[in-house]
Amino acid sequence: MNIRKLAWKNLLRRKSRAVFTGLGIFLGIATFVAISSITSQMEGAVQDQLDRFGANIVVSPRAEQVSLGFGNIALGGTEVAHSRLTMEDKGRIASIHHKDRIRSVVPFLMTAVDVSGKNLVWMGLPGTDVAGARPWWKIQGRAELQPGEVLLGAEAAALLGKGPGRTVTVGSRSYRVAGVLQPTGEKEDGMVVADIADVQALAKKPGAVTYFEVAALCKDCPVEDIVAQIRQALPGARVSAIRQVVESRKAAVDQLRRLGLGVSAIVLLIGGLMVLVTVMGGVQERTREIGVLRAVGFRKRSIFSLLFWETGWVSLFSSLLGAGTGIAVAYLASPVFGIEHPSVVFSPAIFGAVAGLSLGLIGAIPPARRAASLSPTEAIRTL
Amino acid sequence: MEPIIHLKDVSMVYGCNGTRTTALGGISFDILPGEFVVITGESGSGKSTLLTILGGLQVPTGGAVRIGVADLSALPADGLADFRRETIGFVFQAYHLLPYLTARENVMVPMSLERVSPREKVERADALLASVGLAGKEDRLPSQLSGGESQRVAIARALVHDPPVLMADEPTGNLDSATGEQILDLFSEWNGRGKTVLMVTHNKANLSRATRFIRLRDGQVEEDRMLQSPPAEPVAV
Repeated sequence: MNIRKLAWKNLLRRKSRAVFTGLGIFLGIATFVAISSITSQMEGAVQDQLDRFGANIVVSPRAEQVSLGFGNIALGGTEVAHSRLTMEDKGRIASIHHKDRIRSVVPFLMTAVDVSGKNLVWMGLPGTDVAGARPWWKIQGRAELQPGEVLLGAEAAALLGKGPGRTVTVGSRSYRVAGVLQPTGEKEDGMVVADIADVQALAKKPGAVTYFEVAALCKDCPVEDIVAQIRQALPGARVSAIRQVVESRKAAVDQLRRLGLGVSAIVLLIGGLMVLVTVMGGVQERTREIGVLRAVGFRKRSIFSLLFWETGWVSLFSSLLGAGTGIAVAYLASPVFGIEHPSVVFSPAIFGAVAGLSLGLIGAIPPARRAASLSPTEAIRTL
Repeated sequence: MEPIIHLKDVSMVYGCNGTRTTALGGISFDILPGEFVVITGESGSGKSTLLTILGGLQVPTGGAVRIGVADLSALPADGLADFRRETIGFVFQAYHLLPYLTARENVMVPMSLERVSPREKVERADALLASVGLAGKEDRLPSQLSGGESQRVAIARALVHDPPVLMADEPTGNLDSATGEQILDLFSEWNGRGKTVLMVTHNKANLSRATRFIRLRDGQVEEDRMLQSPPAEPVAV
């Protein structure tokens, strides 16, 4: 017999009280772990979706607006590029310090070319990057482009009267139509999309690039750092982050996290109060027992320790059970929250179990102190 | 012979909402080692208060209490707890066994704080239970024991540290006369080994085992009489 065993035996005797004491912690930790696991996985899912949404940094040649006029007559203006981008710049972008945060660097070349008598804008990009760079495109036909193949925007296809499998001709060269984009409501609807090498050849600008789209992986995104590093790598380029996308990513994820933490904190607080109230009630009920223990020589510290062990056992088991339940609930409920590939996230469970145990012990301090300070006289009067 | 218990002008006054009640009004006496003292008195005479003061469960509002070399008035709370554990064995009228522990475990409760192997604790508890006639009933819960058996467990628990002083508050109050006699036999046996026994009781039949009789009235010693000589080799604290 020792204090731990005494505490354990008392718990077994008062099972319903022990269950009630642990219920608050169990619910609190289960809620915390479930919400944390779900928000953590949602964070990842939102991140994936947002990253899949496309680029968040655009690299273009630095240009200067030049106003043209004659006397008081304004003749409009034009942009004068200070430098040009080339395919070699892709390697420079991909070798910055934060290169591990860069998911893709896609070069684009835009040019206007006469196709079957119609003047259309051609968008060139690596044929294998079409799906990654424009994941929202819905294509009738194939998305991956081989050299000599093109995708037609919906309006361009209608204008040319072409569909998948047909060919379009530019000068003496024919291009097979690999697919047709469904209407996007954007400028792409009127464009012809081709492999960048083909567009460079058509524009007679080998290696030329109009701009790069850079997709940075943006969990805790240091996008300003990435922009600065690309600027350093390409001094002649204008590098701009599409801040709105980055900020919205952060905001969405932060809101989820705050909601989860808020709900968990409230439930945990209630759990802690339940521990305090039930253990305090237990002390009141056990005045006589505490009196007997004091009479046989238990010190104040021993009584405190006894109450602490009792609450410790309850807190430990209810925290572990809560953590396990939270993991299971999070796993089972993941599809409801749009998480396609649910996984078991252990870190909230570990944190939750430790927090539950700590909370239980903290909640036990006031009643344990009350029990310890109970004078044997006061307790013995009930004997 | 040096007294094992020394009381000098001990008083106990309870105060509540401006009302003061004098439970003990400055009593003095000495008890020698090996005495079997029966303390009697009407309800409210202060006998239970006296026992709790002698047992270190409460500190008197006045006077001095010394047991062995320990001045109870000067001991801090933890010191009193240690004193109770090492020096005093308590037996209560209502046994006050912990209902969720077996007889053996109840006897082992005071040993919870000792750094002794579990096996040794079990052996000591079983030996004590056997000495009070409960061999074979070690694993029974209090609810499975009769009143007399429960009181025997309580006595075994009180004796677990081999205390020089055993204090009992109406130990036969809840028992029939035959069972009460058996319990008194145990006290006599313990007293016969030189231990000091203090017993508060209403029952004059208990006087047959006592070596000394103290009657309290209104918080004062009304009568203090030697009945027989204590055992030859008393045990001091």
